[in-house]
Amino acid sequence: MKTTKTIFQDGNHKWVAIVRDPEKPNYLIDTNEYLVTHGEQGILLDPGGAEVFPAVFSALSSEFDPSALAAIFASHQDPDICSSLALWLEFNPKMRCYVSWLWASFIPHFGGTADTFITIPDEGTDISLAGLILRAVPAHYLHSSGNFNLYDKVAKVLFSGDVGAALLPPGEDGLFVENFDTHIRYAEGFHKRWMGSNEAKRRWCERVAQMDIDMLCPQHGAIYQGADVQRFINWFDELQVGIVSA
Amino acid sequence: MTTALATTNTKASQAGVDLLRIVRINEEIKSVVAVAFKINIMALNAIFLAKRAGTAARGFGVLSNELRVFSQDLRDCMASLTGLIHGCVTEVSLVLQDIRHTRLLRQAVALSSVPRMAAVLAEREMENDRHTQRLVSLRKQLKRALEDAFQMVELGGVLAKSAKIEAAYGQSFALPLAQVSGEFDSIVEEIRTSLESLRRSAFFTGN
Ligand SMILES: [Fe+2]
Ligand SMILES: [Fe+2]
Repeated sequence: MKTTKTIFQDGNHKWVAIVRDPEKPNYLIDTNEYLVTHGEQGILLDPGGAEVFPAVFSALSSEFDPSALAAIFASHQDPDICSSLALWLEFNPKMRCYVSWLWASFIPHFGGTADTFITIPDEGTDISLAGLILRAVPAHYLHSSGNFNLYDKVAKVLFSGDVGAALLPPGEDGLFVENFDTHIRYAEGFHKRWMGSNEAKRRWCERVAQMDIDMLCPQHGAIYQGADVQRFINWFDELQVGIVSA
Repeated sequence: MTTALATTNTKASQAGVDLLRIVRINEEIKSVVAVAFKINIMALNAIFLAKRAGTAARGFGVLSNELRVFSQDLRDCMASLTGLIHGCVTEVSLVLQDIRHTRLLRQAVALSSVPRMAAVLAEREMENDRHTQRLVSLRKQLKRALEDAFQMVELGGVLAKSAKIEAAYGQSFALPLAQVSGEFDSIVEEIRTSLESLRRSAFFTGN
């Protein structure tokens, strides 16, 4: 089963990371899911693939009543992001899914109907969670062509999806980055190969550098906090992406 | 392995095997349709031949006409079989999807203690039963339609044999008429063999 770690709390405004399942088979990429709660409501960020649904569902329900989940935020269209959608909807058919307009007719192949999806325009949008405003921030082409991060100005947390992702070797499974230089080696290959556009990357770095962020939370790997956030932005800004040896 | 997991695996492999059997049945139906089309062309030629042979081959002409009607009826019958086959493919695909979802929901029930999830699983299992029942009903309909097709081919066989007899009265045209009616007969036999193998398909016998 996955574990839950509350990474931010102010009353009932919480960020809960759902991470690290020792029983997950190795052929499935490891993913982090994040639950944001405010008031009586919750939103689940990148709920994960169908195969990890039981582990995510049970971990989440140990923290929060899953019937109070109002929505899912899908940063993009990948199977590790949202192929569990049909199962979440089976549990709660009224749940909504926020996603880039680009993928609104693609993701229903995983589940959902026309009523399920709330599309996000390219420039992003505000998402209200019982009065808390979360901002869908454009991160297009990093790696997906219709891709969003989710920013919580109050908690100063940025959910960055695949940006900042690291493929950690066995044993290196801390929730937070402890040694940036060691950690970033596990992120380098991923960013060079999965990210396709240096221009998009530069614009993202400029945009995010302006934001007040305490924690940058990727969908794979460990969370960057404090000075490591800016370190990551600088490192990413310097990195040449879209590189393949073939 | 838990009993539930073992049952899930058995169901999944059964559905996979069913899908393969359905595909085989569909391929056989396609070949029957192709042959039925051939009978139509042959019957047209036979009708012209009988016209040329005149009164001596009048009986043969009537039978050729009947064979032409038979080939059209057979194609209609195969079209309805194809419709049923597509229905079976849809249901088996749903059953395969049900199996995966049920497995994951069952795991979620085992790992968590959310009462609503147990109800969701129960609903899912009822939906699975509905899909399974629909597949059972389609399987029966397909079997019945196949029996009808078989009866029809028996009639086609009688027509082809009668055409063979009529050919003997074709005087100077006796030889080409005998050749055509012989071809009719062997083609109808070919279809009969195909349908017989379909009737024996394990999709119906359930082995
Ligand atoms: Fe991705
Ligand atoms: Fe990912």
